[in-house]
Amino acid sequence: MNETLEAWTPRALSLLRIVAGLLILQHGMAKLIGFPAVPAFANVQPISMLGLAGVLELVGGALLVLGLFTRPVAFILSGEMAVAYFMAHATKGFFPLLNGGTLAIMYCFAFLYLSTAGAGPWSLDAAMKKA
Amino acid sequence: MDKINKTLAAGEPIVLSIFRIMTGLLLFQFGVAKLLKFPAVPMFEKVEVLSLFGVAAMFELVFGGLLILGLFSRLAAFILCGEMAVAYFIGHFPKGFIPLLNGGNLAILFCFSCLFLTCAGGGPWSLDAMMRGKR
Repeated sequence: MNETLEAWTPRALSLLRIVAGLLILQHGMAKLIGFPAVPAFANVQPISMLGLAGVLELVGGALLVLGLFTRPVAFILSGEMAVAYFMAHATKGFFPLLNGGTLAIMYCFAFLYLSTAGAGPWSLDAAMKKA
Repeated sequence: MDKINKTLAAGEPIVLSIFRIMTGLLLFQFGVAKLLKFPAVPMFEKVEVLSLFGVAAMFELVFGGLLILGLFSRLAAFILCGEMAVAYFIGHFPKGFIPLLNGGNLAILFCFSCLFLTCAGGGPWSLDAMMRGKR
């Protein structure tokens, strides 16, 4: 049982990377392109704190989905999420469930793990290594 | 680039355990809030033990706790993965297709993180690893 699961770990890693990348890409798109339209992000300027976060999420998210330069990209996004948590959520209270920061923490640690584990087999990184 | 990759890759096993512990803690939080009412979340004020929410809370409390400890990590993560998939489709999906708008981002991320942990196991900082070491 454990061996079967172990054998699937690299593929599950790629799956986690793609899904986490797609989710963070959403935040970037909502902030910069305005799709999907989120009322809280309606007036985000590109040159502002939120705009900069949007650029990181848009570019970093896309690179994560593709699995290109996964480790450094995931590391940067992990840092971005840590900053986001402490700037936007930690100031509202200690408990993540109440300050709304659960998602930011989860992103932060998922990306931290991806930065150490890499992209897995389903990625451009892996395709380039073979070539 | 190779040097950066190598430096980052060196931390992999320990970061896996840290990731497991954080995932467990965050899920545990939801179980504690729903059943023990701490921290007090207005939305979870009226959760009965024997209801869909209550059963979800028990899963989160018990298996979230096991994930934190790293005991039966694979089994716990597998059950939580399923729970989060159900939560997404019952709680969020009916509100719309895009996760950012239906509020289901967190459920999706939990679901796939737990799926990964099911495959990867608990890492070196876990009771699973300690028990294996003794045998």
